[in-house]
Amino acid sequence: MESESKDLDRTLQRARSRYEWARARRAVLGFLPALGLVGVACAFSERPLRALGFGLVLFLVGATVLWYGRELRRAVLPGLAAGVVPMLLVLVGAHVGHSCEGSSCTSLCLIACIVGGTLAGFVVGASKTAREAGVAFWLAASSVALLTGAMACSRLGFAGIGGLLAGYGVGLVPSLIRRALSKAT
Amino acid sequence: MVSAPGVNGGSRGLREMAHEDAGEGAGDRELDALMARLADGDRSVFDEVFRRLWPPTLRLCISLVRHEADGADAAQLAMLKILERAADYDRSRPALPWALAIAAWECRTLKRWRQRRHEDPVDESERTQGTGGEQELVNRDLMRAALASLGELSDLDRDTLLSTFWDEGGSSSGATLRKRRERALGRLRSTFRRLYGIGE
Repeated sequence: MESESKDLDRTLQRARSRYEWARARRAVLGFLPALGLVGVACAFSERPLRALGFGLVLFLVGATVLWYGRELRRAVLPGLAAGVVPMLLVLVGAHVGHSCEGSSCTSLCLIACIVGGTLAGFVVGASKTAREAGVAFWLAASSVALLTGAMACSRLGFAGIGGLLAGYGVGLVPSLIRRALSKAT
Repeated sequence: MVSAPGVNGGSRGLREMAHEDAGEGAGDRELDALMARLADGDRSVFDEVFRRLWPPTLRLCISLVRHEADGADAAQLAMLKILERAADYDRSRPALPWALAIAAWECRTLKRWRQRRHEDPVDESERTQGTGGEQELVNRDLMRAALASLGELSDLDRDTLLSTFWDEGGSSSGATLRKRRERALGRLRSTFRRLYGIGE
């Protein structure tokens, strides 16, 4: 009887580890398409190693979030969708180059990082509000969005990353205000 | 096809089984909900899902393998497979028949493997000591799977099959009923195969 119970305990432990491995495998496969974005960012970047570094971190974070599941899992797609905005803007901005008025020229990439970051923050904030999700969702979606955007903005160094972060913070303001107002009423 | 004992004049009638099935519905729905949570990544329900799935899986495996020790081994392997595939569980389907279909497949694989190695159990003393009660439980699990498949059919198909089982001719008779019954049975078979992956 005791050996039967031990057998069952062993089966339970093995089942648990199989479950986790299956989830991990599924998460890696599920996040594999995101490597396409990493490839695009590396191909069009002047500093592909930086893009690759952020891309690998993005893959690690995305796969971990998918493996964990629950509320976090639902943050991956909105995060990626939001992060693609600054990434594409920067790639287009890099293609155009500079915007010059008179004697002063501004890098469009930096503007793209700030504007893209703002849009990404707005998208993540809106999707968090729409789903009435918690802080965990917001953290996961923000990480994925910022890492996706950072693959392209990293070509400008700290300025690009800083611009992306600042823009992202601004983009979150409407959802924060809405949240504060709903709490007040 | 894995037959569902009791459907064609077993010890209990379909009507009685269906009635009992309604009583077990709450438990099944709980298992469905627990399985959906596990599929979503809620590890806190893992032990509970295991605890609920183990007895019917063991019963089914012993019944299919017809050997107590091998049945228990097959059930353990089946539990590993079921929980490994928990993340793939489709919450629109009932959990128990889904799990039992995986278990049945596992048992069939084990039987085929044994046949290839010519290792079919012959020691009668080791054969299953399955009591009538255990067989009843296996029948009930299979009946629930059959009823779930029946629920997927159209009203006409369902009525045709139910009136056949209850020997009610209905408005149509003779060749029309026979043809309708054959078509409905064909659709039931393919639904069972689609839902549970067994039944050819």
